[in-house]
Amino acid sequence: MDELDLLKKDWKKQESSYPKLSYNEIYKIIHKKSSSIVKWIFVICIAEFLFWGFINLLIPESFFTIYEKLHVKAFLKISNILHYAVVVVFIYLFYKNYNSICVIDSTSLLMKKIIKTRKTVNYYVYYNIIMTVILSIIVNIIMFSDSTLLNEVMNPKHLEINETKFFYIMLIAQIVGLLIMIGLLWLYYKFVYGILLRKLNKNYKELETLEV
Amino acid sequence: MTKELEHKFISEFQKHQNIIHKVCRIYTNNQEAHNDLFQEITIQLWKAYPKFRGDSKLTTWMYRIGLNTAITLYRKSKRSIQTQDFDTVLHKIESTKYDDTEEEQLKLMYKAIHQLSDIDKALIFLYLEDKSYKEISDTIGISEVNARVKMNRIKTRLRTILNP
Repeated sequence: MDELDLLKKDWKKQESSYPKLSYNEIYKIIHKKSSSIVKWIFVICIAEFLFWGFINLLIPESFFTIYEKLHVKAFLKISNILHYAVVVVFIYLFYKNYNSICVIDSTSLLMKKIIKTRKTVNYYVYYNIIMTVILSIIVNIIMFSDSTLLNEVMNPKHLEINETKFFYIMLIAQIVGLLIMIGLLWLYYKFVYGILLRKLNKNYKELETLEV
Repeated sequence: MTKELEHKFISEFQKHQNIIHKVCRIYTNNQEAHNDLFQEITIQLWKAYPKFRGDSKLTTWMYRIGLNTAITLYRKSKRSIQTQDFDTVLHKIESTKYDDTEEEQLKLMYKAIHQLSDIDKALIFLYLEDKSYKEISDTIGISEVNARVKMNRIKTRLRTILNP
C-alpha cells in the first residue's frame, strides 16, 4: 500500500478519537475573547493614529512665541489644518480597509486585505515623518534667511556666538534629533512586525511566489 | 434573537466540530495548543456566523474559517507549555493494532506533516479530507493548476521522507 493511502486510512480512523465538546463547553468558548492578529492590528493602528495625532499637542507654548517672532505662525496654522484633513482621509481609508477584512474569504485574499490595512497605517506614519522633515526644512530656511531676526529669537540674551558656528550647532542638533526619531521608529516596527506579522508575511510570500 | 442564533450555532457546530479538531490536529502537536487553536477558530466561526446565509454548505464555511484562522489569524498563546507530542501519544495507544513498520511509517508521516509550511499543511489537510482541486484552489485562493503542482510536490516530499 502506498504511504499516502496508509496515511489517509489512518486519518479516517482517527475521526472517532477526537473529543466531543458538549453544548455548555462550546457555549463557554464563544463567550471568550478572541486574540486574533486582526484584533491586535486594529488596537495598534488606533494607538498609532492617536500617538501621531497628539504629538502636536506636546509642543510647548514657548515654541509658538518663537514662531510668531519668525512670522511663520500663520504658515504653521495652515499646514496644521491641512495635516488634520490628511489624517481624516487616512482614518477613512484605514476604516474602509479594516472593514473589508472577512474571515470567509480565501486565504490569500484574507492575507492581502490584512496587509493592505496595515500598509495604510504605515503610509500614515511615513507621511508624518516626511511632513516633520519638510516643515523643519522650511522653518530653518525662513530662520536662517534673516540673521538679525534669528539672533534675536534664538539668542535673546545677546551672548557672543559665532554665526557660522551657531548654524552648524543648530543643523547637527536637528539631524541628531531626526536620526534618533527614525531609529526609535525602526526599532518599534521591527518589534511590531517581528511579533505580529512575521508569520503572515512569510505565508503570503509563499502564496505569491506560487502564483507568479 | 441573539439567544436564538447562539443556540442554532452551538447545535450546528456541535454536529460538525470534528472538522475543527482535525484542523487543530494538523496545525498543532500537543493538547494545549490544540485547545487554544480550537478555541480561537470557534470564536471566529461564531463572530462570522450572523453573516452566514446558507448559500454555501456550513461545512465548507467551517473548513475555510478553520484554515484561515490557523494560517493567518491565530497567534500562539504565550502560556502554552510544551507537553508530550500527539504524534507519539496517539500511536502508543493504538500500537497493538499496527504492525511495527506501519506504525513507524505513520509516526514519520505525521512528523513530516508538522514540519511542512502552513500553506502546505492546508493542502495536505484538504487532500486527506478528500476535497476536490476546485475546492482546494477556492479555499486557499490559488489557481487549480498551481494547487495540483504544489500538491504533487508535497506528496513527493512526504514519500521521500519515508523512502530516502
